[in-house]
Amino acid sequence: MSVHERLRRLLFLVPFVSSRPGISVEELARALNVSREHLLEDLDLLTCVGRPPFNPDDYIDIYVENDRVYVDLDQRLSAPPRLTVGEASALAASAELLRPAAGDALRSAVEKLEGVLPPGAGERFREMYRKIDAAVEAPEALGPLTRAIHERREVSFDYATPGRGGLESRRVRPHELLSHRGQWYLQAWDLNRQDDRLFRVDRMQNLAVTDATFQPREDARAEVPNPARTNAAVRVRFTRLVAPYVRERFGEDARLLADGGVEVRVAGDNERWLTQWVLSFGGEAEVLEPASARAAVARAAKAVLGV
Amino acid sequence: MDRTERLLDLVALFLDAREPISWAELREHFPADYMGISDDAAERKFERDKAELLELGFPLSYIQGDDERKDGYIVDRDAYYLPEVDLTKEELAVLYAAGSAALTSGAFPGRDDLSHALRKIGFFAGNALPTPRVRMELGSEQDGPQLAAHLEALWDACASHKWVQMSYASPKRPDLTERKVDPYGLVLRRGIWTLVGYCHLRQGVRTFLVHRIRSLKANTARPRTPDFEVPEGFSFDNHVASSPWQHRFHESVNARLRLTGELLTRGPSLFPGATVAPAEDGEGVLVELPVTFLDGLLRFCLQLGPECRVEAPEDARQRVKDMASSILEKHTPREEVAA
Repeated sequence: MSVHERLRRLLFLVPFVSSRPGISVEELARALNVSREHLLEDLDLLTCVGRPPFNPDDYIDIYVENDRVYVDLDQRLSAPPRLTVGEASALAASAELLRPAAGDALRSAVEKLEGVLPPGAGERFREMYRKIDAAVEAPEALGPLTRAIHERREVSFDYATPGRGGLESRRVRPHELLSHRGQWYLQAWDLNRQDDRLFRVDRMQNLAVTDATFQPREDARAEVPNPARTNAAVRVRFTRLVAPYVRERFGEDARLLADGGVEVRVAGDNERWLTQWVLSFGGEAEVLEPASARAAVARAAKAVLGV
Repeated sequence: MDRTERLLDLVALFLDAREPISWAELREHFPADYMGISDDAAERKFERDKAELLELGFPLSYIQGDDERKDGYIVDRDAYYLPEVDLTKEELAVLYAAGSAALTSGAFPGRDDLSHALRKIGFFAGNALPTPRVRMELGSEQDGPQLAAHLEALWDACASHKWVQMSYASPKRPDLTERKVDPYGLVLRRGIWTLVGYCHLRQGVRTFLVHRIRSLKANTARPRTPDFEVPEGFSFDNHVASSPWQHRFHESVNARLRLTGELLTRGPSLFPGATVAPAEDGEGVLVELPVTFLDGLLRFCLQLGPECRVEAPEDARQRVKDMASSILEKHTPREEVAA
């Protein structure tokens, strides 16, 4: 831990405890993202901090009692320092992740951040903030979905389930938005199916936020299925041309072949995903087994050729 | 005295001071730190302390005295304390959700800065902090602590305008290449972080995927003097591809696609920025878009299946056929081969 990082933390710690007297050691450690041990070392150090002439009343008086932290003398560390240019720009850049969702709130929040920077730092902030571009391809629906999650309201939409033809009407209790490899998903409780489901936000149509509210469950969490499993049933071989890219994604799980190609194993439970994935290599990938997966890829190639 | 302790003592001293504090007084206040060494060494030590305090956002300055005030160092207290940011519930929610998502992804440039910023904006919110309900996961290429460390170092180099020296693993080459780059900025697209900057080896603006950087070192000489300026009018969009067909591998050509069936309404989301219009012959919609990497587009179209047909340019139609034929040939049932 650098001196700089520790100082940043300590200058925040004193006013934070001042404004929350009796905060537990555990809660404080969590808020500062440090271990209990490091926090106690920080508190020890702070008791040695003061100002000349270093009379007893000139020291910061911070102490732990019954595992709770109190400050009696803060030596004018009554509020945290202003946001630095780096802090404000990292925050503003991260907010870009939600650009369509945020609407006017993002613009006004960024303006307010600029307002609390040290005097004269505005220009540097605008320059820095442009150095990160995290505006991922976020669909418009993120806006109403974020609102529905915060207001705990059910949403309805028509969902295009690939391969089933047409749209199906869904009504769900939205829980969480997830961006995975740049693709946005909504994790929600599907009222029709009485089960947790993951929906791709770009496949939703006619989204509406309803007036029906609900109590969210705490434990809900969905994972995007990871197709790369070493015990998976489907073997796929890649030519030497695309091998380096496949190795990048699969790492050690990609077995190097004598001809410079690689072989990987992936899950076969989603035939549609597998077929699309193999096709996306434009002839540089081949399913080795099972025969059913090979046949599915052949059918998809025939469909494209119209034969 | 421990440096952290001395710096905090200085903060406490200046925050409480009603008068400017002269260098002589500072030396008296901290005899163990600024005395007992040469004047030059003591001054340099204080200069380093002062630089660190300034970096923490502590507005320390030196004023020339006049009839009313003596010479010395002083801090503008109003410029130091964070005022109430006065964010609405919605604004706080946006910043908190996005900031937390960026942090949980494990790799976001300026992670430390971001954590501190979130704490500070939450300072006045008491217990009313919103629960973040947005997560971000990057691709598996991006796993591992190295990426986070490199993003952090690049963020610092971008901020201080210092060049970086790195070894870069391009999938197109068997060996690592050494590159010296002026980092202009960092871009996140489809879960992949890209560094955009001026490459001294290629003498032009180039893009580098951050997960392909094997080692990285920023120029440490003269840390407060910028090595370069980002050219006026520089824009990421001219250099970074958002979609596979936007890699700048060749001259731009216009492509035309026809979407039918289930894909009929998905044109705008599948091909952001493209022109989408109903076909005059009534069969589906036509999508027109500029393309600088045709194979990238064709592979994308292939995976969409027969409901996405490539109509132009002419050679692209043939190319799709060739790709599909090659796939079919590879997957046509073979006779059992004895082991």
